[in-house]
Amino acid sequence: MNFELTTIIALGSGYLGLLFGIAFITERGWISVKIVRHPIVYVLSLGVFASVWAYYTSVGNALRDGYGYLASSIGISLAFLLSPLLLRPILQLTRTYQLSSLADLIAFRYRSPWAGTMTTLVILFAVTPLIALQIRAVSDTASILSPEAAQGSLATGFCVVITLFSILFGTSRKAGRTQYDGLVMAIAFESLVKLIAFLVVGAFAIYGGFGGFDGLERWLQGQPELIDSLKNTDYFSSFHVMALLFFTAAVAMPHMFYVTFNENNGQRALSFASWGLPLYFLLLSLPILPILWAGLLSGSSVQVEYFPVIIGAAYQTPSISLLAYLGGLSAASGLIIVITLALSNMCLNHLILPLTQPKANQDIYRWLLWKRRILITAIIWAGFLFHYLPSEQISIQVIGIVAFTACLQFVPGIISILYWREANKKGFISGLAMGVCIWFLFLMLPLFTEADPLSLVSINWREITAFSLISNCLVFVAVSILSSSTDEERSSADICTLDTIKRRKRSGLVAKSPPDFIRSLSKPLGDKTANREVSRALLDLNLGEEDRRPYAMQQLRGKLEANLSGLLGPSIAREIIDGYLPYSIVSEHGSSDLNVIENRIEAYRSNLSGMAADLDNLRRYHRQILLDLPLGVCSLSTDNEVIMWNRSLEEFTQINSADVVGSQLIDLPEPWLTLFTNFVDDDANHSYKYAFELNGHKKTVNLHKALIEQTNDPHSSHEGFIVLLEDITETEILEAGLTHSERLASIGRLAAGVAHEIGNPITGIACLAQTIRDEYDSDELLNLATQIIEQTDRTSKILQSLVNFAHAGTDKSQYENEVVILSESIAQAETLISLDMKSKELDLYIDCDPNARILGDSQRLLQVLLNLINNARDATQANGKVSLQAKIKGEIVEIAVTDEGIGIPDAIKDRIFDPFFTTKEAGEGTGLGLSLVFSIVEDLGGDIDIISPVNEDIGGTRVILRFPCYHSDSETGSDTQSPDINAL
Amino acid sequence: MYIPRSILVLLLIVYLLFLLSVDWINQVDGAWYRPFILGFLVIAVAAWSHREQDSDEF
Repeated sequence: MNFELTTIIALGSGYLGLLFGIAFITERGWISVKIVRHPIVYVLSLGVFASVWAYYTSVGNALRDGYGYLASSIGISLAFLLSPLLLRPILQLTRTYQLSSLADLIAFRYRSPWAGTMTTLVILFAVTPLIALQIRAVSDTASILSPEAAQGSLATGFCVVITLFSILFGTSRKAGRTQYDGLVMAIAFESLVKLIAFLVVGAFAIYGGFGGFDGLERWLQGQPELIDSLKNTDYFSSFHVMALLFFTAAVAMPHMFYVTFNENNGQRALSFASWGLPLYFLLLSLPILPILWAGLLSGSSVQVEYFPVIIGAAYQTPSISLLAYLGGLSAASGLIIVITLALSNMCLNHLILPLTQPKANQDIYRWLLWKRRILITAIIWAGFLFHYLPSEQISIQVIGIVAFTACLQFVPGIISILYWREANKKGFISGLAMGVCIWFLFLMLPLFTEADPLSLVSINWREITAFSLISNCLVFVAVSILSSSTDEERSSADICTLDTIKRRKRSGLVAKSPPDFIRSLSKPLGDKTANREVSRALLDLNLGEEDRRPYAMQQLRGKLEANLSGLLGPSIAREIIDGYLPYSIVSEHGSSDLNVIENRIEAYRSNLSGMAADLDNLRRYHRQILLDLPLGVCSLSTDNEVIMWNRSLEEFTQINSADVVGSQLIDLPEPWLTLFTNFVDDDANHSYKYAFELNGHKKTVNLHKALIEQTNDPHSSHEGFIVLLEDITETEILEAGLTHSERLASIGRLAAGVAHEIGNPITGIACLAQTIRDEYDSDELLNLATQIIEQTDRTSKILQSLVNFAHAGTDKSQYENEVVILSESIAQAETLISLDMKSKELDLYIDCDPNARILGDSQRLLQVLLNLINNARDATQANGKVSLQAKIKGEIVEIAVTDEGIGIPDAIKDRIFDPFFTTKEAGEGTGLGLSLVFSIVEDLGGDIDIISPVNEDIGGTRVILRFPCYHSDSETGSDTQSPDINAL
Repeated sequence: MYIPRSILVLLLIVYLLFLLSVDWINQVDGAWYRPFILGFLVIAVAAWSHREQDSDEF
């Protein structure tokens, strides 16, 4: 097998160039977001974990351990199959608090920069052999394909190229806290290439090496020792330990942490990966045995691990060897790129920034960019140096085990993050130190001392691994139990630990507004950065710069800490936030942060089951009652912070709950500020008929308040107030209307009495006038007497109308059921209207069919006509025309009153028949007229219709009354009345 | 600690499969690819068990 060196270099460089091209066009948006964010792409990007270990080392493992080589795939698959237990809660934490690495997560949970620093150092030591393993595999396979090339030069060349690509990939953007789609697409592509290459090589091994499955089976039947070693897997020893190593690596390895959590597109993608990634690893494991057997059949003297690259040439198909090499290069380069990016961020946040930070007047983003570039270079070249150190005799399998065993030391710390509240930083650091010391002494050190670590002092690596892990756990648990946790640690444990929903105390901030935040943060970050970060956090939270609500300010503080954590690491971020945005009140007895509790339960609700779910349902039910109560409900804390603002209150005040919850009472706008403040400060628990002005309208409310009793805190007598607000404006108007109506009724009775009293002297005057007319012959006296009689007749008619009107509607049993001649009723109405001074300005046009008759009470119909004509008169300009028409239309008598006013707006059409609804100025109308009309028309068996505007150009309103027509004997031969109008 | 029911089912099936399959895989005349058949079975069950969590976005 002898390929040209230039072919190997061109193939490698071309492939890396292709990866960079994919990242570039993805970042430019030339690939659809649907593709980039598809869960399959996420799964393939997770395939970065299938490094040289899965590609080359597994072949050697299959020869040594039989099916035991599957342990690594099973370990990583189990981590994803059981993602709800480990990965999903960690994903939630990392997304909420912008934690980009395991060191960030551990520093956040244990509230210790030292824990983060130690984690970074251990991972740095653990991962360096893994990088060295990739470099060595690439240089080894390149030298197998091109034996004349110097291995050292190949490794150097590979490192130079991969350094340049890593810098281009990883530092093309300033901030590393958002998803990097280009990198994800490139890594997904390399995972696909790796899988396809391996499957093709596997298929070639079967068909090229054995001539097909039958040939393979025949060959296997002649190799009983191979079958025996394959099936003689020691499931209960190294298999389990190996599976555990790779299970832990899913979280502890920086490249896996980075892709799993930082580049995740949501829960759906993780659910997809929970079975998608195991499928990927299963497919990747499938060709390993055929490749191994084909390699053995070929009789190649090359190291077993590199069989994938030799079988193509061994069976006279060199292109398969090149494809296998490309797959291996893909596996190695993908891992190095991602691992250096992740590790550079960790080193920056936990090693560099704690020692030196950019000055406030510096461009912090540029400063971070250059530091990251330097770190990427340093990490790759540390791996390069490391690959020279171990003896050539030590296989790449041993180097891989050393790397993965170091990461196993994080198992107790990671599990405690989610499941053990009592764990603390002292326990974590002590346990980790113990485990790492054993790892270093018994596994790492022997790599450089020519001793075989796998058989050191007659114990194998499995026992060393178990010993280091057990020691780590024992020390961790013992120290955590014996030492005390700080308040910060306990608070952090509450956030991280599942099933823990603690009562959080509310605290006030010194900074009261976004400009205060910018001023405070300008000191450590500089004006420009502080402005940018605060604006970004406000945008993330959908808050405005004018927001002053304490709850919103606490949210802003939390978001700033999370964002800065993504930029500078959680330790530095917390240091800056605690130092420059401190709380003014550390804690208050009895003032729980109910909003925070509410939000947490909401976020956690889908995980609740059993009694917890029942309690949550009960809580929701009670809350819903308060929210939907047809009374305004507002609950206040002891320091007058608004805790609840229900829907009725939202409608009445036109203030959204989201805008007011978390505010102080004094932040409310007028008139609510005065209303609530006065009432809360007042000793009385009830305030009736509190009147105030709202948008030019008078409003009246009843207010009630009660203390919210504190049941479980002896330091406080109550938890605040609940205030009920009852809008009684409509009731007030109704009461005023009724009072007015009662007053009108009194006036009516008075008028009837007066009319009755005046009637007697008028009758006397009329008698005297008739006597004069009958007994004196003087023409002058006769003329005077006739005029007196006419005037007294007129006066009598007026008085009779007043009496009739006053008596109308007082007692339904007194209503007449008589034949009403409409022309007479209309004439009577005209007479009464003409008495009104205003009616002199009215041009009343009457057109009445003399035969129009209905059956009913003439006085009540008169009242209807008077009300309608009065309304028409009021709506019409001076000297305007009002027409009144009464016509027979078949079995119906239709009365239409039409004015030339401006018409009735659509908005109030539905309300004009409501009692006491009026558009007239105060004192000019009772709002009862049309209501009374409606009621009487219904009683008379008719209906009412309103057309407004009558004409689109000139407006006007027409009220149409329809009654069943009455036919007299002269017309039909008998008294008949049409059926009820409503039945027609 | 909350464990979704589907994950409990998955764990149970994986454990039962493990118990039942060790001898089956190691039969002398058994096909070499038997572990992969089991692997595909487990993944199919996993795909089902994770299906119902798709709506649980946070």
